[in-house]
Amino acid sequence: MKQRFETTLVRDLGIGAAFLAVMLALPSVADKGIVFVAGTLALHIIFGLSWNLMFGRTGLVSFGHASFFAIGGYCYALLARTWPDLHPFVTLSSAALFGALVALLVGIIALRRSLGVYFAILSLALAQIVYLFLSYIPELGREDGFTGIQRPELGLGFVSIDLAQGDNYYYFMVLVCALLGSLIWWVIHGPVGRRFKSIEQDPVRAEFLGINVFANRLASFVIASTVTALVGALYGPWLQLLTPEVAHWSFSARPILYALLGGVQSFWGPVVGAIGFSILEYGTRTMHGLSEIVIGATLLVVVLLLPGGILGGLARLKTRLSAKRPDKPTEEPAE
Amino acid sequence: MLTYVLSPVFNGLFSAMVIFLFATGLTLIFGILRVLNFAHGGFFMIGAYVAFSLVSLFGSTESMLSYLLVSVASGLVLGGIGLLVERFVFRPLQKVDEAYSLIATYALLLLTEGAVKAIWGVSFHSAAAPSALAGIYIVGDLFMPTYAIFIILLGIACYVFLEWVLQHTETGKLTQSIASDPWMAQMLGVNVPRFYTWIVVFGFFLAGIAGGLLLPNQTISPNLASTFVVQAFGVLIVGGMGNIRGTFLAAILLCVIDSFGSVYFSEVPGMFFYIAMVVMLLLRPEGLVRGARL
Repeated sequence: MKQRFETTLVRDLGIGAAFLAVMLALPSVADKGIVFVAGTLALHIIFGLSWNLMFGRTGLVSFGHASFFAIGGYCYALLARTWPDLHPFVTLSSAALFGALVALLVGIIALRRSLGVYFAILSLALAQIVYLFLSYIPELGREDGFTGIQRPELGLGFVSIDLAQGDNYYYFMVLVCALLGSLIWWVIHGPVGRRFKSIEQDPVRAEFLGINVFANRLASFVIASTVTALVGALYGPWLQLLTPEVAHWSFSARPILYALLGGVQSFWGPVVGAIGFSILEYGTRTMHGLSEIVIGATLLVVVLLLPGGILGGLARLKTRLSAKRPDKPTEEPAE
Repeated sequence: MLTYVLSPVFNGLFSAMVIFLFATGLTLIFGILRVLNFAHGGFFMIGAYVAFSLVSLFGSTESMLSYLLVSVASGLVLGGIGLLVERFVFRPLQKVDEAYSLIATYALLLLTEGAVKAIWGVSFHSAAAPSALAGIYIVGDLFMPTYAIFIILLGIACYVFLEWVLQHTETGKLTQSIASDPWMAQMLGVNVPRFYTWIVVFGFFLAGIAGGLLLPNQTISPNLASTFVVQAFGVLIVGGMGNIRGTFLAAILLCVIDSFGSVYFSEVPGMFFYIAMVVMLLLRPEGLVRGARL
């Protein structure tokens, strides 16, 4: 078990470091449009990973995950406007904490009585309340959105970095996302993740084994929502604008698509899904109507032909290939 | 004073019947195939666009007969699409996990939105109600558009008809038995797969006909698909997981509450639908109408 954990750790660290290096090298080789897409992708990857921490690990189908993205984003924007002199770390963590608090309240109410499709629809309804709320409050910009969100100055004690300068905010975002990704990896592969996994596989048996199913589901919900609130808080200054659309249910569908497209069983599934989706979206951005057709058709084909997502399909291909491999050595002695 | 009560009730009933007409096909498909069809709104939208095209093709929206014929025609077109969707999407989905049917139907929703943009463009369109429905009745301070009265009566008629079919006809009883235990029905010699096909075709037919009938109710644009979907899911679940009676009652309950909420808290219109929905789900997670019947 420990052996396996260590090989996974080494492999994933390698993949993660290589990916991080590519992301950090990007601004020096690619144009501004690509850098913008990559920065947004970094946030979406964490968005997808956090959703899969609930679904892939404890079997919770949340349909309102975007509401935490929006809560974090608006909370950050409001704090930054009211107290512009606060350290960005304080503002960002306050937004995340607020998200955690809302998630705790929602989770305690929603998880006690409702699971499965009920939980999906309940979270959808709660998210819709957040969406309407954001569209009606004048202080939050109503449907026009919250405008003029500044990229802050980052004071690190000995040195101060102006995130509004050049690509600084991009680097900052990518590094924070790398940290969040590592955190999710650690949660999934640690003892907590194994407890989560047992709940996903069989909640009744997990309960008999002495695992508090409710508390663990709540934990996965709160962790995922907190991470998402932080990602949302990073998103406001990146776009310098927030609209209620980030709380809309079609935005909640995003992390679900990433996870299912890439594969929910593997840690890297949502990452692969988010990258694939971004490429599709970027490639079809100028085509009227065709964009939806291409994305929709791709999703449909993946679901119908590759249940288990892209990574699930690759894994099956690999086992099929390695099953055939023993044939080869038997051919050689025959010569 | 009476108008402060009657007017919200009337408006609530109207929006309830709009949601109910939209949600009947969704309820049937969910009740029997257990597929929560995200794309239902998309196909409803296509129904509305097909009806719009037919109306512009034949000129007038004046006569009641052409309004009804156009609605039925778009229902038939959608039924045909339903046949294809069942064969190439829903049937293969029976074999994969439930969560994947959500992403597949979401993909279908994207496809319908893309198709509408590609075929009809992104501009807004609207069509007037036939002249027979263009009037308005005024009783005291209560304004009742004829079109709204027509939709309310139509919704009730649709409910009564479906309830009668499900309770009193052979097909209805067969539907009930398949909904409650498809495996046993299969054992007893019912051709369940073929039945599924017909249910999907009928569900799509209902989506198309609703698209045509509700065309005068709204301007149509590629955003139409997502307008009712969340509310329809709400009445479906509050009603009790896909039975017609529950959907009907939940639509009335939620919409009338919402209508009162919008009158007394006018700064947050539409919010009370979801608040009522959350409260109902917490109080009665099993829904208004319990049991496996449709």
